[in-house]
Amino acid sequence: MQAHAIQGERVTLPVRIRDAAVGSAMFAVPAGAAQAVIGYSGLEVAEPLPGRAVCSLAFVRYADGDLGPYHEFAVAFLVRPPGEPPSPGIRGRLRGVGAFIHWLPVNQEFTLEAGRTIWGFPKEIADIPMDLTGRVQRCAVRFGGRTAIEVAVKPGVPMPSGAGAPSVDAYSCLDGVTRRTPWTLTPSEVRTRPGGAKVVLGDHPVAEELRGLGLDRARALTTSTVGHLQMVFEGAEEVRA
Amino acid sequence: MRRTALVTGAAHGLGAMAARRLAAAAWDVVAVDVDEVGLAKTSLRSPNMHVRACDVADGGAVAEVLAMTGPVHRVVHAAAIAPAGPVLEQAAGEIEHVLRTNVIGAIHVVQATLPGMLERGAGELFLCPGAAGPSAAAVAAYTDALWAEQGDRGVLLRCVRPDDGTPHRLVLDAMDRSLARPAAHVHVRARPTRRPPAMIFAPR
Repeated sequence: MQAHAIQGERVTLPVRIRDAAVGSAMFAVPAGAAQAVIGYSGLEVAEPLPGRAVCSLAFVRYADGDLGPYHEFAVAFLVRPPGEPPSPGIRGRLRGVGAFIHWLPVNQEFTLEAGRTIWGFPKEIADIPMDLTGRVQRCAVRFGGRTAIEVAVKPGVPMPSGAGAPSVDAYSCLDGVTRRTPWTLTPSEVRTRPGGAKVVLGDHPVAEELRGLGLDRARALTTSTVGHLQMVFEGAEEVRA
Repeated sequence: MRRTALVTGAAHGLGAMAARRLAAAAWDVVAVDVDEVGLAKTSLRSPNMHVRACDVADGGAVAEVLAMTGPVHRVVHAAAIAPAGPVLEQAAGEIEHVLRTNVIGAIHVVQATLPGMLERGAGELFLCPGAAGPSAAAVAAYTDALWAEQGDRGVLLRCVRPDDGTPHRLVLDAMDRSLARPAAHVHVRARPTRRPPAMIFAPR
């Protein structure tokens, strides 16, 4: 069994999250600009439609899991599996896509060290106030009182529970090393809708990148909330992109 | 400034989940229970959670915890024991034990925290006596009496009585939402599930 020493504790893999809640929004963004943002990873953005990539913003409350309780904000892009040329058609272009985690601020030290050490996730410490119980769910990421980004997600309509647990690959790139992490999600109490997100960008470098992608003006493709989410993170393996 | 929350009954169930959510939201959490093993589980890998073994039925022990804690901004009093079996079949001694923990325990927690909150003119005090039974009704009546005496002094008082079988996370959601309601809305209810759309449109 793979294990890591984090702040004097032994964290064994896979890491299990037993209760989390999420608000998220997906945006279609110009593929060239998105590729320039994630070019450092050696990965290539997926293009469900030619010339368009998908950028996802998500805020997560981890209430019960192996890394303790914390809040997290994620900026991710859909990427093609490394080393595989794109197949024709929208289904072909989405075959095997993963989520490249470009930015992952968290508000607790234990998960900061665990995330960076075990998977190379680009975690850094921020203040992440969150409201997941109001009609509109909200989250902000702040550094020393200065707001980097604020996201608000309007309520959607309830979705039926899925039968299987979707598995995706999460990709990360820290200190020049790109990694792939198998990731399984079991969501319930899912609500979704087209549009429905409002993004306010501050003066952080990542906010500048998102402004360059037009996220402060764009209508979301979809927004979703997940009332109860369980997840499993396997160990990471290095990827030669 | 970091805010401090006191959560009782934090070793299991609603109290454990309340403590974890508050810790996730970067509160300094003082987690209290008689079950030290359960407390250790709740606070695992949560550096801003501090555990104290304490029986809320012991007023002196509660006062001692508060003396170490300093000003508390939110209280979630979830320490409650469920009576075993129907009310009619419970022995008087058993009922006395339940009332001592659930009712007198709530009074100890209120007396140790509410005066400080009133002095500062701010705070949120949730009493979670469980779904039903004489002790829950007594705590609800006690909350009404507190509201009648102290209701307009800046502290939110809430008595949380969910329907039987309501998942803890929905109870906590209802508690969070109640913070936005007028102070006079002292009683918080929560249902097991939200009414599905099919019921809304069903013919009557």
